[in-house]
Amino acid sequence: MSGPVSGAAGARPLHGTFKQKLAWMTVLVSTGALVVAGTAFMSYHLLASRRAIARNLAVQAETIGLNSVSALVFDDERSAEESLAALRADRNIVTAAIYGTEGNLFAAYAARPEDEDGIDRVISARQEDTVRFQRRTADAFRTIVTDGKRRGTVHLVYSLNELFADLAGYLGITIVVIGVSILTARFAASRLQRTFSEPVARLAAAAEVVSRTKDYTVRVEATSSTDEFGMFIDTFNEMLAQIQAREREVEAGQSQVQQLNEELEQRVLQRTAELDATNKELEAFTYSVSHDLRAPLRRIDGFANLLGDKCQSNLPDEGRHFLARIREGTQQMGQLIDDLLNLARLGRKDVSIRTTDLSPIVSRVADALSRDSNGRVIDWRLQPLPTVACDPALIEVVFTNLLSNAVKYTKNREQTTIEVGAIQDDGGFPVFFVRDNGVGFSMKYAHKLFGPFQRLHRAEDFEGTGIGLATVQRIIHKHKGAVWAESDVDAGASFYFTIDAQPGAGARQTLSKGETR
Amino acid sequence: MRTLDHIGRVAALLFAVLASVSLSAQRQAPLSEVTVKAAYVYQFGTYVEWPPQDPNVAFTICILGEDPFGRALDELVKDENISGRPITIRRILETRNTDECRILFVSPSEDARLPAILKSLEAKPVLTVGDGMPFLRRGGMIAFTLQDRKVRFAVNLAAATSARLMVSSQLLRHATEVRQ
Repeated sequence: MSGPVSGAAGARPLHGTFKQKLAWMTVLVSTGALVVAGTAFMSYHLLASRRAIARNLAVQAETIGLNSVSALVFDDERSAEESLAALRADRNIVTAAIYGTEGNLFAAYAARPEDEDGIDRVISARQEDTVRFQRRTADAFRTIVTDGKRRGTVHLVYSLNELFADLAGYLGITIVVIGVSILTARFAASRLQRTFSEPVARLAAAAEVVSRTKDYTVRVEATSSTDEFGMFIDTFNEMLAQIQAREREVEAGQSQVQQLNEELEQRVLQRTAELDATNKELEAFTYSVSHDLRAPLRRIDGFANLLGDKCQSNLPDEGRHFLARIREGTQQMGQLIDDLLNLARLGRKDVSIRTTDLSPIVSRVADALSRDSNGRVIDWRLQPLPTVACDPALIEVVFTNLLSNAVKYTKNREQTTIEVGAIQDDGGFPVFFVRDNGVGFSMKYAHKLFGPFQRLHRAEDFEGTGIGLATVQRIIHKHKGAVWAESDVDAGASFYFTIDAQPGAGARQTLSKGETR
Repeated sequence: MRTLDHIGRVAALLFAVLASVSLSAQRQAPLSEVTVKAAYVYQFGTYVEWPPQDPNVAFTICILGEDPFGRALDELVKDENISGRPITIRRILETRNTDECRILFVSPSEDARLPAILKSLEAKPVLTVGDGMPFLRRGGMIAFTLQDRKVRFAVNLAAATSARLMVSSQLLRHATEVRQ
């Protein structure tokens, strides 16, 4: 779809509409002008005709009156009727009548016999000179006066049919002229269309093609005229050329970017695979080392135990004390190995996401910790928690670690308060927190908090392996969440975490098995 | 026979009654014959032109012989004028006094001496008016006639013209007969 586009295809609706609009405009203007002119002419004709009729009737009535004075004087109806019969020359006169001084009918004339009934037998003796226009007729009364004496009255009834016929004629002519003007307007519109709407239609068709196919190689066929349309088309073509050039540049740039992206992706994949392999090796190593370390450790512990049992009497007090320290050390190391194994296992384990109510988990953990707290009074403030999608077993591990930490670092406090709850972040998602009034830590070391074997306190003050928060972080990351802490020395500590796992996301987790986080 | 005769009489009576009713209905509108004649006499004055005369002299209508109009003519012309001149009515018995007369009505009582009267007026601009067609035949200018119970008139134009009187065509139009 490239090259010049002709106006005919594709854009017919606009094409037709423009032509129709032109035709309508022309017709509207010419018809409007004709209707106004016709109305004006007819109104003027009506007014002028009425004036002429009134004048004509007055003159005719006066003439008849003067001609009939002697007939009235000498009571000669026949003569008066003859005078009236002269009105036959004017076919618009329907009836005419002469009345005596008393208003009694003296002589009458009717153009047609059936009109005779319409003639009044008596009129008012004081009838004034008037010309009255009725619906179909004009009525003229004229007093006959000679020598200052009233002799009688002439009454003429004039038919307005001819006037209406004239007006109908005008109307007919106006309608015919309007018809002709509409035809002319259509013709003119089709001529105008050649100058105006055809280029517009071609432009519209081209624009439609461009917007539909995004093909900027389309060009509008230039018109021969140098008018605004010609300029418009030239500008449009130029614009298309510019867009086409820019499009090419963008395309070139895009393909380059795409290539770079692909390379980058390739590299990322490669690195991930390498990292994966390394991580696995490391995990395997950690696991096997931990596992392998257990046997000798158990032996040390076992023999130290035997030594204590069997040779208790042979050992001096100092020896028994050393033996107790050995056993203490092995137990601590055993704990360390267990924690390490757990941490390593987390890396291999798949999370199984379920919709989980967190409140019972937290209660359970808090109860267990209360039982093991050697009679310490702990003020648990457990807010109701929402139901979220997570691996309940792992989340229980998270709470166990966080709450046991809280219990641990508040052991020097006279009153222990541990608060668990959830607030909402800006997006409306829950942010869980565990807050204690313990010894806290300096935010200076906050970055070390979640690293394995990182400890901010001396083991003499607070026992522990330094694996707990690393485990927490690993679980939270497996739930696509985040964990962080806020604290200050001696001001208690607050641990926050979020969970972004979706229900059913377990499948995805399964798919991504083997990837190391 | 008696019955038939009786019916005939009743029918005749009925016819007479109907005729009289219809007649009275017809006669209802027109004025009395005398009044109409009086009016016509006065109106003739407006349709006839006399040779130039002193405009200050009254227009005189004379009645020769027995006056048939009574007060009718006097009443009629009381406030009227002809060509701006007041009208006087004179009743005369002799033709000697006709010099001032513009219109002379010759009463039927003077029929016997009509030739002499007309002779005395010869060549004088006096419009002579009388009753019946014989008046016209004997040289009178305008004669009243009755036609369909209506007062009409005939004109002897020759006589009027010879007396230098111009009779309006308007007047001639209404005449039953115009003698040239």
